[in-house]
Amino acid sequence: MTATAAATLALCAALAGCTGSGDSVGGGKVVLRYTWWGNPDRAARTEEAVALFEERNPGIDIQTSFSGYEPYKQKLATQAAGGDAPDVMQLDYRMIDQYASGGVLLDLAKQKSALSTADIDKGLLATGVVDGKQYAIPQARGTETTAYDTKQWKASGVEPPREGWTWSDWADAMRALAKETGKPGGTDPGQSEDCFEVWLRGQGKDLYTKDRQLGFTADDLAEWWTFTDKLRREGAVSSAEDTTQIDGAVENTPLGRGKVISDMNWDAPASGFLALIPGGVTLAPMPSGEDGTPGQYFKPSMFMGVAEASEHPKQAAQFIDFMLNDMDAAKILGATRGIPINATIREAIGPGLKDFDKTIDDYQASLDGDLNAPPQAPPSGDSALQTTFMRDYDQVSYERMSPREAAEDYVTEAKAELRS
Amino acid sequence: MTTTEIPAPATTPKTTPAKRPKRQREGAAWVFLSPWVLGAAVLTLLPMAVSLYLSFTDYDLFNPPQWVGLRNYTQMFTEDPRYWRSVVATLTYVVIAVPLQLGLALVVALALKSMKRGRGFYRSAFYAPSLLGASMSIALVWRAVFNDGGTVDNLLGTGGWVNQPGWALFAVALLTVWQFGAPMVIFLAGLQQIPGELYEAAAVDGASRWRQFLSITVPMLSPVIFFNLVLQTIQAFQVFTPAFAISAGKGGPADSTLFYTLYLYDRGFVASHMGYASAMAWVLLLVIGAVTAVLFRTSRSWVFYASEGDR
Repeated sequence: MTATAAATLALCAALAGCTGSGDSVGGGKVVLRYTWWGNPDRAARTEEAVALFEERNPGIDIQTSFSGYEPYKQKLATQAAGGDAPDVMQLDYRMIDQYASGGVLLDLAKQKSALSTADIDKGLLATGVVDGKQYAIPQARGTETTAYDTKQWKASGVEPPREGWTWSDWADAMRALAKETGKPGGTDPGQSEDCFEVWLRGQGKDLYTKDRQLGFTADDLAEWWTFTDKLRREGAVSSAEDTTQIDGAVENTPLGRGKVISDMNWDAPASGFLALIPGGVTLAPMPSGEDGTPGQYFKPSMFMGVAEASEHPKQAAQFIDFMLNDMDAAKILGATRGIPINATIREAIGPGLKDFDKTIDDYQASLDGDLNAPPQAPPSGDSALQTTFMRDYDQVSYERMSPREAAEDYVTEAKAELRS
Repeated sequence: MTTTEIPAPATTPKTTPAKRPKRQREGAAWVFLSPWVLGAAVLTLLPMAVSLYLSFTDYDLFNPPQWVGLRNYTQMFTEDPRYWRSVVATLTYVVIAVPLQLGLALVVALALKSMKRGRGFYRSAFYAPSLLGASMSIALVWRAVFNDGGTVDNLLGTGGWVNQPGWALFAVALLTVWQFGAPMVIFLAGLQQIPGELYEAAAVDGASRWRQFLSITVPMLSPVIFFNLVLQTIQAFQVFTPAFAISAGKGGPADSTLFYTLYLYDRGFVASHMGYASAMAWVLLLVIGAVTAVLFRTSRSWVFYASEGDR
């Protein structure tokens, strides 16, 4: 018995990557695995907060790993399927349904003693509930933004974006920027399901219906893709070769690579642009529908969840509590995952926020009260459909298909995806 | 008298021990075979049976499989345009990569054969990429070399191949072609088996080197060519790692490197449709089987086995 255990341990030690949630043997310490997606800025701040947690809890060792969003999504799905989900994982709004209904996540109400949710807005907290169980807790709220290179946009003389600008104002600005600077004005938003959603909501429509079917038709999508494809052909938005390199990491966006003047992204990851763009970054609202209906919304973001299979759910909950509710942690983390959701902390650190964190805070404050309610949590197939969306738009931007053909393909694929 | 008595006791011990060991030997054979038999049953046959069952279900890895009959198969053929793009990408890749790789392997093997000195060194040197090539790191280096601002872009000014649908597949194929070591070693062994007298006789008859190659080398080597062709074709159908790494897991741009296995992985592990992925795997198995059968059929007309004589 002991010999077998020892042999297993030795084997485990010999195999790199054999750090399943079961083998917490780091010198008598409890070992937790914590994974997230993000940029190097978020990584640096997260590591600092983790170090503080470990200092305060000498019995707990936290092993972290992170990557860009797209690879993260794949890796997490594979780990979870293999029963090897990390103890603590960062989840997107689009992932919760899938992982909760799949039994991967632990009901956090079971760990109430270690994890307090008293200071969290009830409405936002409820976005982590599936079938009456609190499977995840949002760390922050985020909203989309048109981030742009401050210096280059100013130098171009083109009128800067303002709240309430419409998609046609945006298109005109992209054309004008291209004319003045010789670079495309922005990233081609045709590849992004998020941008399409903002555009749809600007017309009073939704991505999904209440009963989890498609909320739009092939006509809507064909119209959107015709709109963006035309801008791409004119050189007003990024080329297919630059657009296709987008993988969720800011470094690989056309703006991050210095190819364009602006990019549509979530506000929190936009902090990653600072290190890449010497001219500074400004956050502007997303364009509205032609009648002024805002399409963007405050989305609960960066959920934290604990694996059902975790051997140390209590310590995992303790760690989440630290990340959500600890003042020192909040000071380190700032707004790297968005503006904190904990009301007490938000009020306490809000005025002290510096640099880009303040930019994000001001940006969100400027929109507070102006936006429509967020849509319900997307159905579990949505995570896969996001990728399908990008792939189908590749067919359009590389001119292998017309916007109409690609839109019909997408609707066919989406219906099959949502059927199960 | 003594001489007649001797055979009798000699035969009795002969028959009895011969009977027991036969059964014992069979048992021993099974004992020695057991690692393989167990491995084949538990690691190959059982998973295959399970995947065949799953191919008729809707299975998202987390919830129990739901029986859906042939729906995965009908969806694949009628409702999934991306599936057909992956089929086209894979076939294009097989048709480009396999002949190029085998051609290069044969040329290098011929060069090595005629070498007087240093053959061992060069054989190892040419084989090295095959050892390295299967690794993720080489594929990542490949991506960097063929990306925007990479070596190829700088030298040729063509832009990054990996971002152009017309060229991305070629970049992946080049990585495979570069790993021609295994077929090369087999070709070299085959070439060394060809009797030197045949060449001497041909030379005496005044045959040119090209004529010797066509009339002696190719026919004598044809069983080896056939073996390599079958093996590399089967491998090419299942190419995964290089395409995954070079396209950063997406099979892009515009699905141009979305090979069958990559899309299968995507359906299974990214979109969590294990039933669908299993169905895809079975279709792949059947297609590879069919292609191999066709190759064997055509081999009758062009593969020459010396032992058959001049039939």
